[in-house]
Amino acid sequence: MVDPLESSDDDPVQRRRFLLEDTGFDEVPARYRRFYRKWRGAGDQLAPNEAICPVCKVVIRSSRELWPGDRLYCMPCMSRLVVVEATDGRLEAHVSY
Amino acid sequence: MGAAAGREIHDLEHERFLEEVHSFEFWFQSVEGYLAGTTYGHRTETADESPTGAVERQRLITVLSNYCIGEMAALEGASGLIAIAPNQLTKIFLSTQVADEGRHLEVLLHRMRELGVKHPAQEADRRASRSLKQFRAELLKLVQGRDWEAAIFAQNVILESLEFAVFRAHAEGADAITKEVLEGIIKDERRHIGFGENELGRRLHGAPHIRTRLTRVREELDHLVLSMLEDSSREIGVPPDQQGELARSYLQSVERLGFT
Amino acid sequence: MADTIDAYSIQNWLESCPQSYLENTEYGHAAGEKEPDFFLQNEVLLEETIKATVQLVVGERCALSASSGLINAAPDEASRRFLATQTLDEARHVEVFTQRLYDLGVRKKDLEGTIQRYANPNLVKFAEVLLEKIDRKDFISGVVGQNIVLEGMAFSVFEMMYAMNESVNPKFAHTLSGTIADERRHVGFGENRIGSLIREHPEKRGEVEQMQKEMSYFMLATFADAFRNNRTVDELEAAGIERPHSQYQGVDLGVMAPEDMEQVLADTVLKEFKTRLGRIGIEYQTPTRP
Repeated sequence: MVDPLESSDDDPVQRRRFLLEDTGFDEVPARYRRFYRKWRGAGDQLAPNEAICPVCKVVIRSSRELWPGDRLYCMPCMSRLVVVEATDGRLEAHVSY
Repeated sequence: MGAAAGREIHDLEHERFLEEVHSFEFWFQSVEGYLAGTTYGHRTETADESPTGAVERQRLITVLSNYCIGEMAALEGASGLIAIAPNQLTKIFLSTQVADEGRHLEVLLHRMRELGVKHPAQEADRRASRSLKQFRAELLKLVQGRDWEAAIFAQNVILESLEFAVFRAHAEGADAITKEVLEGIIKDERRHIGFGENELGRRLHGAPHIRTRLTRVREELDHLVLSMLEDSSREIGVPPDQQGELARSYLQSVERLGFT
Repeated sequence: MADTIDAYSIQNWLESCPQSYLENTEYGHAAGEKEPDFFLQNEVLLEETIKATVQLVVGERCALSASSGLINAAPDEASRRFLATQTLDEARHVEVFTQRLYDLGVRKKDLEGTIQRYANPNLVKFAEVLLEKIDRKDFISGVVGQNIVLEGMAFSVFEMMYAMNESVNPKFAHTLSGTIADERRHVGFGENRIGSLIREHPEKRGEVEQMQKEMSYFMLATFADAFRNNRTVDELEAAGIERPHSQYQGVDLGVMAPEDMEQVLADTVLKEFKTRLGRIGIEYQTPTRP
């Protein structure tokens, strides 16, 4: 697992950055709300900086494009996750105990 | 508090993240977001579209009765777990869960009162399914036996995942007030199932031999869980072809922990 | 009982705490408030402050174990729901007082060691008397021990500490005022709920009275240790810092010797016990003075 804090200095050059805005998610303290949003069901699409928490089905957001090995935290259900590449090439978040 | 404010939350050290999310402060500021402006779990201005037909109304009361007994079991379980929790942080998290479960019980009893039930606690006890009552007794046995892993497994993985799946399915087709009440509960349940799964996941990782004991617990509880799922699906009106989806949603959490 | 219990509902808790006196607080005080520098910089004052805060953590841990343990012993679901809010209150108190230890410089990895080092043995015994009742699921004794004896003691101790800190340490005074507000609900529940149960179970009186006597003894012994072995007053005098003229129970704490403060606190708590126990039909038992 890659700790984003320890990732190489040139990451910001290669990764796309995202400005996160509050989407109205109200289940965590206000200062963390921009990191999460609700999954809107069929028709909703994940952006390159987003992943679904397999435990509680909330969409987790990062200010960086996600890469395999990145660590994510789901605050609503308190899970630590790691981004992995699925067989079809999509990125998924798996729980890391 | 708030060490991560202004930073990318995902950069936090894991230990610091757990300190943050298991604290009273985190709970306090989280529930403020979705409980502010509600009374007994819903906004006072929400239109009352409760079922008017006698059969539908009675069915809803029976469903809520089962939820009440489930929440009562969760309240008893979570409060009992505080005594055997391994550290202060975990005790504090469980205390927030105790308050959540108490709130769930209260809003559900209140909803029954709104539907015309005079003595909701007694009515809930009278109507609740036998398998649920048996599950409650089994859970309490595990808590009283001071078996931390087994009790967390039964309470925060099995019971909470089951409630999470059923409440989500029910909220989709429920009347406006019941829907708001259930959605508030679901938001709390996210913390509970997440805590249980992560706590057990870490323990199983560090001491794989626990798995044998938990497999036995699961085997003992499985028939009760399946029976509860069947009852709930029927009562909340999940079409037969979608009942498998409800069961799958519950099974996913136990499968992530390696129980197949 | 329904009306009384409504006042102790979780809905009432939500309206009283998050939407009222705890709104916009962090660890019970306003954001940005700090411990005063002169306490942090003086070795003796700092150690005494840490020692006093450890007793608060020990007391609140006991209250957390007791209130959560009482839930499964409660005879009705309304009491269970109230005890659920009390459990949460006690957990919050554990957290805010633990945070104060961190603010005073205790490192997280040293928390348990610090608590073990400074925890007053008499306070530990006080807790053991209560927790033994909880362990036996004795609801009546447990509620009297927890919500009248322990909470009654905490209520008076916090009020005295609040008076002593109000002008010199607003941060800690704010933390205390929130806990005092919580304790009001707890002692209120103790009296209102247990009064009727004592009437229904007069055979419990003897056991409850004996428990009160034992807990009171260990409480007085804790006070004796806390005041008689306290170097704060001497250190403040040596440093030439005038003590604040805090008013508590009609006396000026700023001119009193520690032994006299101990006497005032002990008398206040015991008088409160006598009044509260009398209201629920329990005869107050005078404890031996340590």
